[in-house]
Amino acid sequence: MIWEVFRQEKTGQYHTHCGNVHASDREMAKQFAAIQHGRRKPTNSLWVVPREEIGEIDSEDVAFGGTTDKSYRWATAYNTTGRDASEVVESEDEQATAERQRGDD
Amino acid sequence: MDLETAKERAGPREFSPADDLPEEYRKAATRMIEFHANSEIMGAYLERPFIRQAPSIDRKLAFSAKVQDEIGHGQLLYRAAESLGVKTREEMLDDLANGDGKFLNCFHYPMESWVETPMIAFFVDGAAMRRQATLRRTSWEPYAHAMDKVCFEEGFHVKHGEDILAELMSGSKKEQQLTQEAFEEWWPRIIQFFGPTDDKSTHHDFAASVGLKQQSNDQLRNAFLDQYIPKARKYGLEIPDEPRIRERDDGTYEVEEDDLDWDEFFTIAKNDYEPGLDQINGRKAAQEAVQWVRDTIEGDASAAGGHAPQAAD
Ligand SMILES: [Fe+2]
Ligand SMILES: [Fe+2]
Repeated sequence: MIWEVFRQEKTGQYHTHCGNVHASDREMAKQFAAIQHGRRKPTNSLWVVPREEIGEIDSEDVAFGGTTDKSYRWATAYNTTGRDASEVVESEDEQATAERQRGDD
Repeated sequence: MDLETAKERAGPREFSPADDLPEEYRKAATRMIEFHANSEIMGAYLERPFIRQAPSIDRKLAFSAKVQDEIGHGQLLYRAAESLGVKTREEMLDDLANGDGKFLNCFHYPMESWVETPMIAFFVDGAAMRRQATLRRTSWEPYAHAMDKVCFEEGFHVKHGEDILAELMSGSKKEQQLTQEAFEEWWPRIIQFFGPTDDKSTHHDFAASVGLKQQSNDQLRNAFLDQYIPKARKYGLEIPDEPRIRERDDGTYEVEEDDLDWDEFFTIAKNDYEPGLDQINGRKAAQEAVQWVRDTIEGDASAAGGHAPQAAD
């Protein structure tokens, strides 16, 4: 049985997928995950999930967002004057980064 | 974990559903996040009519995107609240429908005209964003993660709201005048968004001591005023004489709290404010109108069978 492994580096961060392990049950999966994925890189917590429990939908099944022009949805589309609050600037920067990444593929 | 340990450990994103947290923490966090979730939903309902009333196709697209975002924020937050194990999403939505669910003061007031839209979409979203940015460091990790996504999206809301304000304030004399009037009506409510002063706030001390809340009402309000008074002036809005606002030597501002109507504020906080009941009951009616959709999804098709399908509006 295959278990997908998600690692969180520090408290409060997101668990992100980092690989998978063979194991006969959940306990063994946790042990193997700790050995294979929790030793070299800094690890605070690991999740193990049976692969068959994961549902997947990909870009062949469905058109995800980002293919039509929805510039009205982006902070960067609006030219306003004066200094913006720092949190607005931060949001706009995050959006600009996401927009650039979408353009990459 | 006992309360003392929770207070000692309290830090940004410190606690997750894997932690065994004291009941006081879980209850306080539930109250705070449920209030936030309810506010997202009620804000969306307040703004929804303006998708139809938008004066151009661009505004219509942006407004419908924004309302959609707000409903999504509500959903994220109900999940973050539910993960504390105190209350289910169904219970929270039912409480909101039957008038027990609490939400932000600003969303209790009816909104009738397009010139009012920037009061919400610029000033209230701006105020909310100030607060939400600090909550990325709250101690309940699922709440902080929800704030990551919310803050990512909110920048668009604020900029779009500001763009509407800029357009109105560079429009006809009549438009400018109506916008100024709307501003005067909403301004005290916007200032009250952050709640009573620190010494009158009942929940702050505990929420701060366990890291749920990152800044006090006064800190948030002052940070908001520092940013948004110059913006309002830039677009030609005149700040009303009341509440009196003192500019300190260092350029920051302070509000004369006694100039604000706190009786109205606390009536609203209890969901007893008469004009606001339409907001609560309107959403309740929408929830009931689409009960057949939920029944169908949950597989209880027989319950939906007897009713002709309805739309929420
Ligand atoms: Fe929101
Ligand atoms: Fe918003």
